[in-house]
Amino acid sequence: MNRLHPRIRLLWVARAVVFALLVGGVAAAGVLFTPLPIPTFAPVVISFVLLVGGVGYALLRYRAWGYEVRDDSLYLQRGVLTKVYTVVPYVRVQHVDSARGPLERLAGLASTIVYTAGSRGADVSIPGLTPEGAEDLQDRLKRLAIRAEGDDAV
Amino acid sequence: MTHLSPLSVPYRAAQRSISIVFALAFLAFSGGAAFGGFLGGLGAVALVGFAVLTIAGYEFAYYQRFEYELTSDTLDIRSGVFSRRNREIPYRRIQNVDISRNVAQRLFGLAAVDLETAGGGGTEGSLRFVTYEEALRIQKEVARLKRGDTAPDAPEPDRDVLFELTPRELAIVGALSFDLRLPGIVFLFATSVFPIAASFVDVPIPTRGIAAGVVGAATIAFLIAAASWAAGFASSVVNYYGFKLTRVGDELQYERGLIQHYTGSIPVDKLQTLTIEDNPLKRRFGYATLLVETAGYAPGADNGASASRSRRGSEAAIPLATRDRVQALVEELEGVTEPTFERPPTRIRRRYVVRYLLAIGAIVLGLYGANTIFGGIPWYTPMILAPVAAVAGVYQWRHRGRALTENHFVTRNGFWKREIRFVPYYRIQTTIETRTIFQRRWRVSTVTADTAGSLSIVGGDAAAVDIEVAAAADLRDELDDRLRDALAARREERRRARQASLGVGPTDDSHTQADAPDTDGLSSDDQTDPFVYRTPKSRTEQQESVNDRQADDVTVADDDAGPDAGDDESNDDAENETDSR
Repeated sequence: MNRLHPRIRLLWVARAVVFALLVGGVAAAGVLFTPLPIPTFAPVVISFVLLVGGVGYALLRYRAWGYEVRDDSLYLQRGVLTKVYTVVPYVRVQHVDSARGPLERLAGLASTIVYTAGSRGADVSIPGLTPEGAEDLQDRLKRLAIRAEGDDAV
Repeated sequence: MTHLSPLSVPYRAAQRSISIVFALAFLAFSGGAAFGGFLGGLGAVALVGFAVLTIAGYEFAYYQRFEYELTSDTLDIRSGVFSRRNREIPYRRIQNVDISRNVAQRLFGLAAVDLETAGGGGTEGSLRFVTYEEALRIQKEVARLKRGDTAPDAPEPDRDVLFELTPRELAIVGALSFDLRLPGIVFLFATSVFPIAASFVDVPIPTRGIAAGVVGAATIAFLIAAASWAAGFASSVVNYYGFKLTRVGDELQYERGLIQHYTGSIPVDKLQTLTIEDNPLKRRFGYATLLVETAGYAPGADNGASASRSRRGSEAAIPLATRDRVQALVEELEGVTEPTFERPPTRIRRRYVVRYLLAIGAIVLGLYGANTIFGGIPWYTPMILAPVAAVAGVYQWRHRGRALTENHFVTRNGFWKREIRFVPYYRIQTTIETRTIFQRRWRVSTVTADTAGSLSIVGGDAAAVDIEVAAAADLRDELDDRLRDALAARREERRRARQASLGVGPTDDSHTQADAPDTDGLSSDDQTDPFVYRTPKSRTEQQESVNDRQADDVTVADDDAGPDAGDDESNDDAENETDSR
């Protein structure tokens, strides 16, 4: 089972922190600028709870994530509250993307997205790869897909 | 290159003009009245005339510049008055060919043709309008060219009527349909009109007291129910009148419709899943509904029957038939009968019962809360539903199940709306196992087989819900294995079919048409040389290729991919032939 790059934790934790601070900020603005009877400690508590929850979730998410390039199919497992295990046979692969969002670029990471004709096709994306790793995986999946001879994709 | 029907020019022009002319006429005459008399009226007439002429001119240009052609392997459409578009649709990719005609079009002898492919969310080719005969010809020609028949006057494959909706069934479909759209409009209209109407009619309407409220509410509820039932009845009858499903060679053709007439064809090999749907009432009287799902964009989805049905976007769906007929049809189409289902573990019954009880508890709690604020609410009444919850939980468990038949993954879910889905293994796209935090407590999982159907987006895929964790992991891998086996078998079958057609082919030049000449060369060798001595060699080759496949380093695969694949196929072939002897 392959794990994601550990740095993805940084990205997810950072995202959780930003979200917590943002919500805390909004709550603080509520306390300062509106006449609503919000207790003064509320923003701090909200931020703190979101922070702990978000960071914990991000770390658990990293622990839950794994993927495996098997002989005939790509296998993924993920999910903290709801565990999801996906099997994508190479025969079904339509195309493979590797993508780098702005935050991912900042963290020096990339993701690979596998498309099938299925109605939930675009779900299959693997985040937290190194740029070389993502391209490598893309290439590898592409070859495996070609090899699997998916002549009838639908 | 063929043009549309010349009659499409006046029809399209009329279609477009009507609304514009009305708007303009209204505007001009109301405006003209202000200017007073002759000049205003003349101006209005001139304006309307100009608009109509412009539209007619545009439509004529549209007609002039719209051409289509059925070439040997694509349907070409060249269209566009100002910006031109040339589109080529390979026959192989066409899923459905739909013809529709409304009353006016039937009067003119016109028909609209829509061609759907699997990709995209819209109609790929749309001909507005051709003559009905031409539409039927296109439908037939596309089917023929897709089959690869070259002779245009080749005998048409047999027509085999699979299903015809009897008037009795049509009446039942109507009786079971509710359409809430019309009453909604009526209701909106009525609420604005009623006060005015009431001021004209002097009826002693009780306006005070609880009795008046109850009577009023009951009357309105009854009226809404009656109106939606009537609307549902009418729309079902109009939509499904004369419903007929025919099998023509390897295509399904349906036709239906009283006022607007629809004809369409669906290639059997593009069918994704079949779903038998019923509810307690239908089960009691032995009826069921069949939904047929293709990978294409749902044709006629927006102008379909009742709201619920149109969302399903399954035109070949059989609205209602006796259970036996539905099952016979499933067997005819997919060669599968309703299997015996394996139910979730018995402890899951408790889960469902608890779930229903929790729902009741939540209602009670809510009512209790309301009671403490407002008072006078009998908050404990929902508790009498507790035994019902127990029964419902058990029934939910009982109607849930999964089965692996020879070629299909079959699932059954739901009590009120029970759905039995048949998914051929070779149609599975991905297999997904999910386990929610609640399911984890019960040590169960849900395994979903995702297909490329259009229905799945709304209706949900075939899912084996709440099965043992270990069974789920097995099922996941089993489905993956069976998918690949089924695909390999299909490929093999197709290759054999091709070979057979080459074998009986009259001339040698048909050989050059084969798309994999070396493979065919090898296998024809096999055919002429019925000795088994090839087998050891091919076995080692196969071993090699298996090893190759298992090697995780795929960098060599690139060079190997082509010939390797070819070898594989011929080896399988050799082995199969050995086995069959």
